[in-house]
This record gives sequence, C-alpha cells and structure tokens, in this order.
Amino acid sequence: MSRTAFAALALLAVVSSPCLANSLVGAGPQSGIAKSRMSATTAGEWNKLSLREGKNVEVWTLDGDALNKVTFFGGVPAGAPLLRERDKKNRPLPTVAANMLVTDIPTLLETTYRSQFAVNQMTIDTQVPALLDGHNGIRFTYSFTKADDEVRRKGEAVGAMINGQLYLVSYEAPVIYFFDKDIEKFRALAASIKL
Amino acid sequence: MLPPYTPAYEPTSVDERGLWMQVDEIERQLRDSPLRVRDGNLEKYLLDVLCRVVGQDRCSGVRVYAIENPSFNASMMPNGAMQVQSGLLLRVRNEGELAAVLGHEFAHFELRHSLNGFKNRRATTDVMAWMTVLGGITNTPTGDTQLSLVGSIFQFNRDQETAADLLGLQYLAQSGYPAHSASEVWQSLMAEQDATARGRKLKAKQRYSAGFFDTHPTSLSRAAYLSEMADKLPAGGDPRTQELQVAVAPYLPRFLAAQNKLNDFGGTDYILSNLAARSGWTPELLFARGELYRARANPRDLQLASQFYREAKTAGYARPELDRNLGLALIRNGQVDEGRAALSAYLAAAPDASDAAIIKTLLPN
Repeated sequence: MSRTAFAALALLAVVSSPCLANSLVGAGPQSGIAKSRMSATTAGEWNKLSLREGKNVEVWTLDGDALNKVTFFGGVPAGAPLLRERDKKNRPLPTVAANMLVTDIPTLLETTYRSQFAVNQMTIDTQVPALLDGHNGIRFTYSFTKADDEVRRKGEAVGAMINGQLYLVSYEAPVIYFFDKDIEKFRALAASIKL
Repeated sequence: MLPPYTPAYEPTSVDERGLWMQVDEIERQLRDSPLRVRDGNLEKYLLDVLCRVVGQDRCSGVRVYAIENPSFNASMMPNGAMQVQSGLLLRVRNEGELAAVLGHEFAHFELRHSLNGFKNRRATTDVMAWMTVLGGITNTPTGDTQLSLVGSIFQFNRDQETAADLLGLQYLAQSGYPAHSASEVWQSLMAEQDATARGRKLKAKQRYSAGFFDTHPTSLSRAAYLSEMADKLPAGGDPRTQELQVAVAPYLPRFLAAQNKLNDFGGTDYILSNLAARSGWTPELLFARGELYRARANPRDLQLASQFYREAKTAGYARPELDRNLGLALIRNGQVDEGRAALSAYLAAAPDASDAAIIKTLLPN
C-alpha cells in the first residue's frame, strides 16, 4: 500500500465519521421507521445502524449486525427490489409485485439473499398466518449460510402486503447462542409495530 | 504422450512452502464447510471421473470436495485439493465434458501454475487486509469483495490457461473420452451466457480475442483451438452420458431449486433445456421448469407454469408440493377455483406440512 493511498484512507476515516454514525434507539415509542409509516414501541435499547441496504430499509442490532440483526422493510412498492442492487446489470434482484401471495414473501427474501449475499444454502422452515398490526400476513422462519463467513444463521420474519406494498420485519442471528438469546426481544418488537 | 509425473511432490522454496501452508488452511476450511455436499457418493464419483481421465497414478493423492455453489467452476490448489462446484454438474452434458474440466484443473496442478507469479499475487492479500480496514471505517460489508479477491489469488494468466487446456486435451485423448468434449464445454457455456443476456435484455457479447486485462482466453477462441487440436487426436469413445446422469440424479432437485432462485431466467431455462437434451424432459425437470416460470410470474409465465406442473404430474412426479405450487400459480393467475382444488389436494396429501396453516388461509373458510 502506497503512502498516498494510506493518506487518502486516513482522510476518509476523519471526514466520513460524523455522517456514518450509528445511533441509539432508546426505550419507548419510535416512529417513521425505514422512512415509512411504520412505528414501534421498544422495551429496551437498540442500535440503529447507518448501514443503508435499500431505500425503504432500516437495520437495528443489539450486538452488531453479524450477531443479531433486525431489518425493517417499510412499504417496498411494486416493481422495486428489497435491497439496493449492487450490480443491476449482472446480478439484478427480484422485485415486489402487487399481486404477490403471502407465500411469495419468503420466496422473495430467499431469492434476494441468494443473489445479493451469495447465500448458497437457504431453506424456509415454517410458514404460518400472522397479523402485522391487524393486516393479514405471514410469519416464517428460515435458515441460511452466507458464503463469506459460512456461519449458520436462523431467521424469523413477519410480513404482509398492504395496498400493493410490502411491509416486512426480520430477525437474523447465528444458530449458536445468539438466535435464542434475543428472539423474544424481536417478537415483542414485531408485535408492537403499528402501520 | 503424457509427460512424466512426480507423485507426492513436496514444496521446496520459501515462497512455495508459504503458499502450501496457506492452502492447507483453506483446505481445512473446505473440508469442514457447511456448503460441502457430504451425503451420498458424489465426491467419490467425481474422484473416479478424475482418475479415469488423468490415470490412477496421477489421481491417487488428490482430495475432491463437492461444494454447493450454483456458479460454473472447479479449481485445484497446489497441495492437491480439488474443489468442484454444484453449478458445474448442472451444466456438463456428459461425463466426457465433466472429465475435460477436471482434467484441465488437474493440468494447472501438474504444471504447478499456482507458484509461478505467486509473488505478484501476494499483493492481493495486502489489498484484502486494507479492504477490511476500509470496510470497518465506512461500515460497508466487504465479505463479497473478499471472496472475489480470494478467487483472484488462484487465477492464472492466459498463457497458463492455454497450457492447461492443451495438457488437459492430452489426458482426454489418453482416457477414451471423446476428444471434442473440451471444446463442447466452452460452446455450451457461451450459449448459456448469451441466453442469460437475452433474458436480462442485455446485448450478448462473445469475443474472439481476449482483452488486455482478461486472465482467460475468451471462450470463443478456446472452443476454436480446442476443437482444432481435437481433430488431430484419436476421436475417443463413449462420453458416458448415462453414468453422469445416474450419479447426479439424487442431487438434481436440490441443485435445480438453488439455480432457480438466482433470478436468471434465460440462463436457467437454457440449463434446463440442456439437461433435457441429456435425459429427456423428466418429471423433475418439468417441475423445475414450472418453478422457473412461476417465479417470473408474468401472466403468460403463470399459464405455462401450470402447464409444466401438470405435465410433470402426468410424467409421474409424485411429491405433494407439486399440487401446492400448481395451486399457487393458478390462484396468482386468477384461476382461483382450480387453484384452490390443487391446494386442497396438497393439504390432503401433506396435512402436517410446515406451511399447511398458511396454505389454509388461501382456501375459503
């Protein structure tokens, strides 16, 4: 690594830190989650990451997004992908369709993950009916392994199609220790969501 | 004639020993990877094919790891560990083509291409370390980048690729597989890339000459020179299509399901037609085709998806998820009554399925 590159790196670190800051989500009511009409009430503290994975996406965590990650998808409209496309030309992501059935929601998430994160192993484990603030939707669980760290993770998500837009909140954590540690906190959070 | 071969080679220079230490560690990760296909005899079959093409004396020290990864690739590390990705097994049409690819990778190993120019490639690891730091500062996930850079450590230059192609062809000629297998792999890969581009409404581009920065000769020139060389060799015999089909059959539904979820309509449709050319439209392939069309979900696709599911059923597809997916395709296409009938059939056949409760919500009370 040359000296110039190192200087550029150091400069970037100094200049970029304020706008890249993560922030604390205190206990109590939270509104405007994922730049949408989604709101929730938190029992404890969470960290909101500056990580912007998509237009209507917000990521919260307790210990870091590799260990426990809550993702809010706030009203992804028809024709839009769940996440920002990293390589639209060669690895386009599937998009939301207004006439999607509830059972298409887990498939959409799986297809997105396989393309975006090189997830080569993923299964949808259970799918049951659920309500998202009174709207008919789906609660599903899944397991997957990303090719970059090969950690086995489990996920649980609640989602619904409301007026042709997808509202979805998911929780993902390593199978070992972390998933069970925080799943109840996620369930309480998901149950408090208002639209 | 094949060049003489030294088995049980040990690294000699400092650089080479360092490289071996690294690849031994990578091999340990491969061995323990959750992505490795451990069930059944797939890895043993792949090793048998390798032995058939390069000969018993060459293959005896090799370890083959089958990895679930839908892209077309295989690679071999300088310590004799070979990685074969599931995507390769979906694309080769007979054992001869599989043998051509494995033989090519083995040729890189035999010619010790990994060491040549290793010093240059060491810079890649420095870049990787810095990328991680940079990623930490900017909170950008670097995992993907890391993977592609790791790939580039084991990339060879164009001359090496050509040398490996030619030695690979010599193995093929010795082994009894058809000598034209190697060029057919590249032709088929080009056709698939064109199909993917068409499916994504991009311009298909196959080039005859490689650009300055390309590490591989273009597929087109490869297919051409391999075919030209093969003309001069004995034609070879049986490509053993049936043997490949039997070996891959148990894994096919799983590999196809993964391929289907890559959001690559054109490429996947090409792969399915290719497989159908190998075995005819089997119930599994028809079902997979239904899945592909249902996923794209234009009205015409949903219509065709229902048709493929029904053909699969007529052809003898017996698992209950066929009725579920047929029902979902019909309902999404507005054929609600027919769809509900299919979903009821699914629930009758699999009342305890993990998605039974959600499927019930699509039926009338």
